[in-house]
Amino acid sequence: MIKLAIKDLKLFFKDRRSMLLTFAIPIALITLFAFAFGGAGRSNGDTKISLLVSDLDHTATSKEVIKQFDSLKSLQIKTLPLEDAEKAIKKGSESCVLVIHKGFTDSLKSGAALPLELKYDEAKGMEVGLLQQSLIPTLSMLPFSLGNSKEAMGNKLAKMTGTSNPQVRQTIQTQSNNLFDAISKGISENGSKKKNNPTKSFMGGDIKMTKLVKATNDNQLGLIQAVAGTAVMMLLFSVVGIGMGLLDEKQEGTLKRLLYSPMDPLNILFGKMISANIISIFQLLIMFLFASVVFGLDIISHLPGLLITILATAFACSAFGVLLASFAKNRQQVQGLSTLIILVMSAIGGSMIPLFIMPAIMQKAAVISVNYWSIQGFYDVFWRNLSIFNPTFISRILVLFLIGIILNSLAIVMFRKNILKLT
Amino acid sequence: MIEVKNLKKTYDGREALKGISLAIKDGEFYGLLGPNGAGKTTTISILSSILTADSGEVIIGNYNLEADPKSVKKIIGVVPQEIALYNELSAYQNLMFWGGLYQVPVTELSKRTTELLKLFGLEDRKNDKVKNYSGGMKRRINIASALLHQPKVLFMDEPTVGIDPQSRNLIFEVIEKLHENGMTIVYTTHYMEEAERFCNRIGIIDNGQIIAEGTLDELKSANAVKETIAITFSNLEESNLKEIASFWNDIKQIENTVHFYSSNVKADLSKLVLQCPQLGLEIINIEILKTNLETIFLTLTGKQLRD
Ligand SMILES: Nc1ncnc2c1ncn2[C@@H]1O[C@H](COP(=O)(O)OP(=O)(O)OP(=O)(O)O)[C@@H](O)[C@H]1O
Ligand SMILES: [Mg+2]
Repeated sequence: MIKLAIKDLKLFFKDRRSMLLTFAIPIALITLFAFAFGGAGRSNGDTKISLLVSDLDHTATSKEVIKQFDSLKSLQIKTLPLEDAEKAIKKGSESCVLVIHKGFTDSLKSGAALPLELKYDEAKGMEVGLLQQSLIPTLSMLPFSLGNSKEAMGNKLAKMTGTSNPQVRQTIQTQSNNLFDAISKGISENGSKKKNNPTKSFMGGDIKMTKLVKATNDNQLGLIQAVAGTAVMMLLFSVVGIGMGLLDEKQEGTLKRLLYSPMDPLNILFGKMISANIISIFQLLIMFLFASVVFGLDIISHLPGLLITILATAFACSAFGVLLASFAKNRQQVQGLSTLIILVMSAIGGSMIPLFIMPAIMQKAAVISVNYWSIQGFYDVFWRNLSIFNPTFISRILVLFLIGIILNSLAIVMFRKNILKLT
Repeated sequence: MIEVKNLKKTYDGREALKGISLAIKDGEFYGLLGPNGAGKTTTISILSSILTADSGEVIIGNYNLEADPKSVKKIIGVVPQEIALYNELSAYQNLMFWGGLYQVPVTELSKRTTELLKLFGLEDRKNDKVKNYSGGMKRRINIASALLHQPKVLFMDEPTVGIDPQSRNLIFEVIEKLHENGMTIVYTTHYMEEAERFCNRIGIIDNGQIIAEGTLDELKSANAVKETIAITFSNLEESNLKEIASFWNDIKQIENTVHFYSSNVKADLSKLVLQCPQLGLEIINIEILKTNLETIFLTLTGKQLRD
């Protein structure tokens, strides 16, 4: 088995085309996406996304909100009348405007949905997505940071439970008040620790999820997206290439010769799996190393999480490659099929377009792709800064391993059925 | 050494083997001779346990193939009909890899690899990638790859297809050496010269059946085969051929040469030498073609071995 894997590795590193596919093209793509998503060269925070704001509410509260946005490192706020702002967007000189509609303050107090609107230029979706991402933490914290909201939160919670029973409402209000105090305390503690970063993201923006998470790396979001998205997509392409080695062996007759020997035929598949895993791990390491050296992605302080995610991703993806190869009859068949599957998975899984700027329904559909779990894993590590013991992170890693196990088992079945059958 | 009983194999409704039985003794050189599609490769594939027969029994070196394929695989070597090597690896790396599958210790394996490369005259090219080899050189490595575990039985499926005479002679010498050292060899071919040169015994296979079996002499005498008088003329017209056919019905024309089939060469030869000039034909060459497997095959099946 090991001998087979070593042989595969030798063959792999001799093949210039697969080296190009595995290393050079992904590096080029990462560079491209890193600039496209604006992650490159922004690690010291001196380039800012500019955001136009039109305040139609004209209250003290709305002004306070604008001030909060302005204090964000990644944003450059300009207030303009709505008409002028829209003109600028149509002209192409600005990408979007945040409109604070009338009634904002009242809604904030009553806990109703906030009348905010982001009017944007569709062609600049990428930038807007990044913008949205940096607004969400502040927005979701507004009820807390602008005071007078204990009641608002209680109202909102009660509304969510849909009850009209006054006793239940009372209980909710009490509970909510306690929660509110705890969170406010958390904010002020965090705030005093890091003065220059007053907002902490409030994951998901849903009041029900009350966990406070540090998100200090938000200006690296574009870079993480570029590296993780591209690396996973390209990894899928290269593992399919490795899997196709099985079909080459069949076509060139070496499979027959392997079968003449006394070893168990399944070792041929296991050897492939091992070499696919080794190459995958190697490829991912190189990609992140590249991102670290060239774009300053901090891999050192995230090393354990990074390595775990790389292992899980490599395992899931190489199983995918081996399975595809054992399904098909010949190289051409795999090539067509795999390109289609990989492109679709990458598109819905967030490899090409960041998931957070996709509509909610697409974000839900993303879970069927390997890319999703893996990219989210990398987000957890680099952006959400989750520890490796965090249940969310662990669950993603487990999903990846589970995917790997299922695909590998299927591959064994298909290998027996398709590849070993020489008739 | 090899005991095969009534092997049958059907591919998608087409019968490839219709009941093959063989008994091959230890140290014997057995030739399986047959035209394209006769079932040679199918037979070898079943004997080497990479294909399962629909029915029948195979025993190789006291092991039942079905019950204990692993033990059988350890003592057999197979040279496949197609060249099956890793083109991107060198000859040396290929041999080391293929030998490695048989658990030969590395130092011993390396020694045998070097010996085989020497034996096949490829020592000085051993570090070149196989893809840069000529067809003949690839064939040599293709054979060498089956020998690293020193098998007791060697199956060779048309090992000399499409090669230059130099490689061919070298391969023949190696094969003869292997046989002299006591290896049992099953050799499939559709070149009768090869079968005639090496084989102790020959089985003629056609349409998935052994239609005759024995030594070359046994096959000849059992089949009352005619010999061939080949006469080449300086010129040969369509009309001449008709005239010849009027007094000799068993003929075949190949350009300016006519093959006269005869069961009594001595008598027929003088007859022909007299008759042909009477038709105004000038004889420029006469050759007696010895009875060979081709003629035997022709007699048995009415078909040429090769198209
Ligand atoms: N994988 C297969 N699927 C279907 N039919 C097959 C397959 N392999 C062989 N056959 C058929 O079985 C018959 C025997 O084939 P086989 O390869 O054993 O012949 P062979 O004697 O080795 O011929 P050749 O001299 O061309 O190598 C042929 O009719 C062939 O078409
Ligand atoms: Mg054949």
